[in-house]
Amino acid sequence: MAADEKYKKSVETAIANPKLSKALHLFGDAYLIARENAYRGLDFEAMRTDLSAIKDEVRIRRKELLAEFIKNAEAAGSTVFIAKDTKEANDYVINLAKKKGAKLVAKSKSMVSEEAHLNKALAAQGIRASETDLGEWIVQLAGQRPSHMVMPAIHMFKEEVATLFNKEAGTSLSPEIKTLVDHARLRLRQEYFNADIGLTGANFLIANTGGIGLVTNEGNARLCATLPKVHVVFAGIHKLVRNMEDAIKITRLLPRNATGQLLTSYVTWIRGAVPVDGQQKEQHIVLIDGGREALYESKACQNALRCIQCGACANVCPVYQTVGGHVFGSIYISAIGIILTAFYEGLEKAKEITRACIGCRACVAVCPSKIDLEEIILHLRNEVTKEYGMGVVKNVAFKAVMKNRGLFHNMVRTASKLQRPITHKKSGEPDRRIIRHLPLHFLEKDFTEWRHLPAIAPKSFRDQFNTISQDVSNPKYRVGFFVGCGADFVYPEVGVSLIKVLNSLNVEVVFPKTQNCCGIPALYAGDTETGVDLAKQNVKAFSEAEVDYILAICPTCTMAVKRDFVDRLTDHPQWSAKAMALSNKTMDASAFLENILGASALLKATAEGKEFTYHDSCHLKRGSNVYKEPRALLQASGHQIKEMKNSDRCCGFGGTYSFLSHPQISKQITKDKVATIKDTGVKTVATDCPGCMIMLKGAVGKADETIRCAHTMELLAEALEQKK
Amino acid sequence: MTDKHTERFIESAKRVGAETLRMDSLQDAVAYIKEKAKGTTLVPETSLVKRHHLRALLSDAGVDVFTGKFRDAGQLPGAGVTFCNFCLADSGTVVLESTDEDIRLATTLPEVHFILADPTTILQDNLAAVEPMTTLHTGSEPKFIAYITGPSRTADIERVLTIGCHGPRELYILLVDGISSDLMEN
Repeated sequence: MAADEKYKKSVETAIANPKLSKALHLFGDAYLIARENAYRGLDFEAMRTDLSAIKDEVRIRRKELLAEFIKNAEAAGSTVFIAKDTKEANDYVINLAKKKGAKLVAKSKSMVSEEAHLNKALAAQGIRASETDLGEWIVQLAGQRPSHMVMPAIHMFKEEVATLFNKEAGTSLSPEIKTLVDHARLRLRQEYFNADIGLTGANFLIANTGGIGLVTNEGNARLCATLPKVHVVFAGIHKLVRNMEDAIKITRLLPRNATGQLLTSYVTWIRGAVPVDGQQKEQHIVLIDGGREALYESKACQNALRCIQCGACANVCPVYQTVGGHVFGSIYISAIGIILTAFYEGLEKAKEITRACIGCRACVAVCPSKIDLEEIILHLRNEVTKEYGMGVVKNVAFKAVMKNRGLFHNMVRTASKLQRPITHKKSGEPDRRIIRHLPLHFLEKDFTEWRHLPAIAPKSFRDQFNTISQDVSNPKYRVGFFVGCGADFVYPEVGVSLIKVLNSLNVEVVFPKTQNCCGIPALYAGDTETGVDLAKQNVKAFSEAEVDYILAICPTCTMAVKRDFVDRLTDHPQWSAKAMALSNKTMDASAFLENILGASALLKATAEGKEFTYHDSCHLKRGSNVYKEPRALLQASGHQIKEMKNSDRCCGFGGTYSFLSHPQISKQITKDKVATIKDTGVKTVATDCPGCMIMLKGAVGKADETIRCAHTMELLAEALEQKK
Repeated sequence: MTDKHTERFIESAKRVGAETLRMDSLQDAVAYIKEKAKGTTLVPETSLVKRHHLRALLSDAGVDVFTGKFRDAGQLPGAGVTFCNFCLADSGTVVLESTDEDIRLATTLPEVHFILADPTTILQDNLAAVEPMTTLHTGSEPKFIAYITGPSRTADIERVLTIGCHGPRELYILLVDGISSDLMEN
């Protein structure tokens, strides 16, 4: 089977196993609460800013710090070996084992040993490696690989564990967790005593002491480092820190972020050849490059090595929660796994998972090292596209059509007419049109079986704008409206609503007609060239408009104008200053209304109170830190909020993700969102993103026709109408 | 090193499953250990153990203090008793310099671990530990320092918290005034 087919199959198999996904959801929900409690009274933002600065300093000074570490470790009796790749590292351990006549290696958890496939390499030489971390042992007995960095066997259930244990020991244990843990305690105790070598990983390598640190809960690392006569430390070179203070700061973030613990049961600090059974222990520290130096050298991706391996990016990832770590990852999983796989195992290996990220930025929000994982993944996706292409559909759509604004917009107009035979009027909304079924049966499963697709509006916003009369005599501000494709062609009424609301607050709206798509869909597909071209078109259109502010009603467009245009045009000096000027005055419409106009004070109870629930769009909350504003505005206009569970969890849209690359994963993520909306019992769900609207209107509409999804601007405009 | 730290320490240590109590005297602590300890008990000869005659006190109280080589005490001895260097109030952590192998064996192998701590050595949090931890690493002697926060735990099967995986199943922290205020000593 070809790699991409194998991948598709693995996605389908994972989705067909709801038990795993359910377990990961329960874990994810409990994790968020535990994490919040663990950080109570602390400033996470300040702590992670500090850690990222430490890690950056280490990156810059890594050669000098590595030399300092080696000098200090050797002075304390350690032997240090630098392995340029995992093969060299394995060979070192094999040679050492042979020299010692070792038959058994007791191992505590080491992700880099997974990366090196060390157990397999040892077995090939007749040396048995025994994993002693409970999760790792389970995975080893099952002949699998870990599906989570911190909880390797999170994908398995107690019944499966009992079967494995019983098979290994010839016992008949019942599948009770306590019984199974007790069995592991007794069984593995023999291994520590019998092992010739104890092998551990390292959470940090402290340059100015020459010591290592281990952050663990079970106590197996302490036994591996104590009982056998030889201690091998297997670690990636990126675990270096400058001093004890750096290491202690990591211990303040790592357990809190990994499991919501203030500290793990054990943090073990070992320097040099400590005593063992009346002698001096032999300690070997194997420091592995294995692609890390190349990652350090990659300007676009180097921040990934700030990672302290807490696994939080998986815990909050809706894609991980849907398909698990065996599908969404390789040795390392989830967001960080995509990046590390590309560098440690090669781009080819990361090809599929690079596209599996939905771009919700949940991982970026919880990362303790402040890594912009999404940005790095997008960069890698671009590399994948350069290397392997992005597929015919996207090629034609982005390169041939979108770049040419006239052609793009004409095609949309034509499509609006062509779709008529398959659109249906949706009940209760006489003006709205949706696609219930597509004519080709084979498309049903991915597209319309579980959601209605929105139809293209009969008249786009750009074609309506001139017919809207704005009654603003002496405007307080003139704002440029960046409409975005979703509101332009699918939901033009959102733009019309925005004008109503702004006009009522004495603000005039300007619409530069030569504006085009923000370019994010092309960039997400890895097409930077089209992204740069579109950025230029938009910068030109809005620079010429000379407005006080630029407002968008799509958070992804807001991020594009505010952040990405500047990045995309850095290498074009004549454009970058203009892009920066636009960036400074760009914001989301809700943020403008609330933070610049103070609109919630002006709108006070304009409508008759109706209950609503609010869905935070990923890019609004985590891209622009806007979430209080729309709530304040809607409540001021007379509505009462009833919060849904996990309101800021992705709706499953992700642009082309839900249509072209991963509709089946989208479907599952959307199902969760629909369930949490229905649980509130509320009939109105508000959001500030046309993309989320496409997803929610479609899926909520299919699930329950009485629930309405609307943009905040629509609800505000309606409230004003009621007042009149 | 105020009473505020002591209160916080007790609360944090209890939250992570360590039975933490104030004791009026070392004798009371010994009586308490006698009550709880079962089977072979490992008591490594550290400077504080010697100074406070802990082995004799425990033996006299009837605790089965192991007198042989600790590696011969079996794979799962009953209990271990140690002092500690200092504690961290915010996380309920005990810090124990364990370079001497006997300390490591007495704190990793047994079913139950008793720690005697002086309340004056309770620091606010692990940031406050940077200085003593750095001092402990002065020079280039081999070092093994253990942070212990509650008993051994795992959540590796179905994410269910289970106590007593590979380390002690029970952890008792007994706070006794006047043991030693020196953070470098245990």
